[in-house]
Amino acid sequence: MSSKPKIKDLLDESACEHNKKKKQACNAPKPGATTGGCAFEGAQISLFPYADAAHLVHGPITCLGSSWETRATKTTWPGRDLTRMGFTTDVSLNDVIFSGEEKLVKAIDDIMARYSPEAVFVYSTCVTAMIGDDIDLICRQAAAKHGVPMVPVHAPGFVGSKNLGSRLGGEAALRHLIGTLEPETTTPFDINLIGEYNVTGDMWQYKHLLDKLGIRVLATLSGDGRIKDIRCAHRAKLNVIVCAKSLVSLTRKMHEQYGIPSVSLSFYGKRDTSKGLLAIAAALGDPGLVARTEKLVAHEEARLEERLKLYRDVFVDKKAVLNTGGNKTWSIAAALQDLGFEVVATAVKKATEDDRARAREYLGEKGVLMMNPGVEQARLIDEKGAHLLLAGGRSLYTAIKKGIAFADVNQEKKKSYGGYDGLLNLAEDLKNALENPVFKLVARRAPWQK
Amino acid sequence: MAEVTRKRDKPLQVNPVKLSQPMGATLAFLGVDRCMPLMHGAQGCTSFTKVFFTRHFCEPIAIQTTAVTDALAVLDGGDYSIVESVKNICKKVSPSLIGLHTTGLPETKGDDLRGVASKVGYPLVYVNTPDYEGGFESGWALTCKALIEQLVAPAATVNDNKLVLLPHVSLTPIEVENIKELIESFGFNVLALPDLSTSLDGHLGEKQAALSSGGISVEEIKSLGDAGLVISVGESMRESARVLLQKNAGMRHHHFSHLQGLEASDSLVELLLDETGFNGVTPKVERWRQRLQDAMLDSHFSLGQTRILVVGEPDQLAGTCKILHDAGGRVTLAISSVDSPQLEKIRAKRVLVGDLEDAEAAADEYDLIVGNCHCQALAHRLRKGLVLRGFPNWEEVGNPLKNDLLYEGGAYFLYETANAAEEMRRKTV
Ligand code: SF4
Repeated sequence: MSSKPKIKDLLDESACEHNKKKKQACNAPKPGATTGGCAFEGAQISLFPYADAAHLVHGPITCLGSSWETRATKTTWPGRDLTRMGFTTDVSLNDVIFSGEEKLVKAIDDIMARYSPEAVFVYSTCVTAMIGDDIDLICRQAAAKHGVPMVPVHAPGFVGSKNLGSRLGGEAALRHLIGTLEPETTTPFDINLIGEYNVTGDMWQYKHLLDKLGIRVLATLSGDGRIKDIRCAHRAKLNVIVCAKSLVSLTRKMHEQYGIPSVSLSFYGKRDTSKGLLAIAAALGDPGLVARTEKLVAHEEARLEERLKLYRDVFVDKKAVLNTGGNKTWSIAAALQDLGFEVVATAVKKATEDDRARAREYLGEKGVLMMNPGVEQARLIDEKGAHLLLAGGRSLYTAIKKGIAFADVNQEKKKSYGGYDGLLNLAEDLKNALENPVFKLVARRAPWQK
Repeated sequence: MAEVTRKRDKPLQVNPVKLSQPMGATLAFLGVDRCMPLMHGAQGCTSFTKVFFTRHFCEPIAIQTTAVTDALAVLDGGDYSIVESVKNICKKVSPSLIGLHTTGLPETKGDDLRGVASKVGYPLVYVNTPDYEGGFESGWALTCKALIEQLVAPAATVNDNKLVLLPHVSLTPIEVENIKELIESFGFNVLALPDLSTSLDGHLGEKQAALSSGGISVEEIKSLGDAGLVISVGESMRESARVLLQKNAGMRHHHFSHLQGLEASDSLVELLLDETGFNGVTPKVERWRQRLQDAMLDSHFSLGQTRILVVGEPDQLAGTCKILHDAGGRVTLAISSVDSPQLEKIRAKRVLVGDLEDAEAAADEYDLIVGNCHCQALAHRLRKGLVLRGFPNWEEVGNPLKNDLLYEGGAYFLYETANAAEEMRRKTV
């Protein structure tokens, strides 16, 4: 039996807000007018952070060659950090003609011999899916031979978007890992963190708070994760989905199969971090825990406020325009407000209905939701008298032309802005941006243009 | 010269340095003014490529995808997705050229690119660049060849002052500019194909990345046929030179394996002197030659005791290994991303077509690494010195201005490498 999940079922996923409205449309990227990654990238995002597993990409060189070491997903795994390594069969013309299966078998043997990982994930990609290499069979045989889980991941790029790929990654974990091992001990406060990839150590901004509360992270998918743990994930009392709608289908199935309820939240900004911690405590349903959490949250917020004092004067009366996508359209807006900024506009072009509603909630009636930020942002900066543009690199020129400060939203790929402490990182970076003379200076006319 | 190991019984790449053909093709199209590179395949290859170059150059990158999906893949021979792509692109922008290049997926299905291209009805150059063959360097070279074959008009007369420069993929924008400038100082009108020196050189301008901004224009490419002289740099560019020469019987060609170090720089200048009858160079060039000589001497002591691993594309290895060798550097190992006729000529003790796992296995053989940012983890773990060169370099800014070529770049490169070697020694004692 093939372990290929039914793509159509996943797309029709009832728990996904986005799909209620436009079912088939999500699956049809427009030729010549599409941005964003493929399903393989999505699967890679959701599973690569397991540092004790090898991630073998079965395909030609583009898929891995262009993408390994691109995400700073940190780990405490004491062994060789396999997230910083790239494995690919690098199939050649010969393999395309005669099948790449033999090469794949040898590659797995090779990896086991040299690195003895706790598991091997085998990713099919466009070309190897097209030529029909049977990665299910190979994984089954390799698992029997080597005695560790071999997980086939069926998310070749041509099946759809990054988002779908993350779901397929979750699906693979559910089918081949979750429920295959029993934990040594359990506690009433065992949770799984789903969709937290610990990029730049985001998870560590709040993990210690969970520890303090006596909440145990049993397993993660997949930030700082361990194969052994995710195999035990079916014994958790609660699934916590961190900023990842794509994994809703996984948690729904875990609810069906193992009766684990789930909550969906974000640890970005002060208010969301507090809300998130309280939501976990509430969902675990222990009054003592809820009381402890309330106390901790109050303490942390006070501590944060104290440390933010330094920045208050800098941010007071400052207006920001935000141009990003997805859940960042509101989560970063919320964080900016936490710091004291007025967010006068946020781009919602690349956001779901749900994200737009939340953006509206945070920005209020006065705030502008930009459907066409490329055109609108320059005008809004003038109209609203904004001081800061927070956007992707290609908007830099707009900020310079308008003579205002610019901060690259993608910095969060290098530095954590998550949790309470991350907000301080954000504050520091934005203060630096506002104080930096560079934006005005580079806009200076050349002497021969005067 | 070197002991070369090409074909090996290794079923996988671990920590690859190899990059794909379609990515090289994209980059070449970005050296054409107002071009829209269109990658034919599923959307992911394009997205990865865009992010890859955006991070390397710190510049927005123009590129689109035909967004082939599994449903389409079975039914369509590329017609629908390509024709539709061009329509959709032209709704938003008016490129001077569509640069259509393939990935493994449509090649596996056997899409007839040439057939589809003829139906598009928009200026378009197509090139087959499956990623299960060749690599970064060949993708760039095949694209350059396609641009020549499909655009350059045949000519019967030559303009002796007009010179075409064909640079290999690893030359940075500023290096291309410097070659052009040197040649121009001899009175030539130089056109580089592709030309990153005016597109991805990192200049502040109104860049929305809708299209490539700068590079050689399509009109200029069309009229390359009357150039009197062609200079190709790098083995990978020989084929492009060959097809260009077919456009005009009067055209003459000179080839350089690379342009790094004293000897190679001298031979380019010598050629230019011969061609023009000039009897000297500008004072600035003369001065830089003396500085390179001095740099070689100043760095020789350090480099003479340093065992070096160089990692990269074949044409890049040729130049880098030679300049290091000439200042006494002991290039004990060169790891090439792919095979190439260039490998035999590389000045290294051992040349290997391989990956960074191979580099790790040979850790005893070197003290310093010259290579891309994937080498950083390796250098850190093994406590080796590191000079970052090649694609990708996501760890440093300013990549378009890294200059290792000719007299001037050579001097800077030797100083940088010798200093890195000294720092490594200070740290490891
Ligand atoms: S679209 Fe297909 S070939 Fe391209 S990166 Fe994604 S999986 Fe690989």
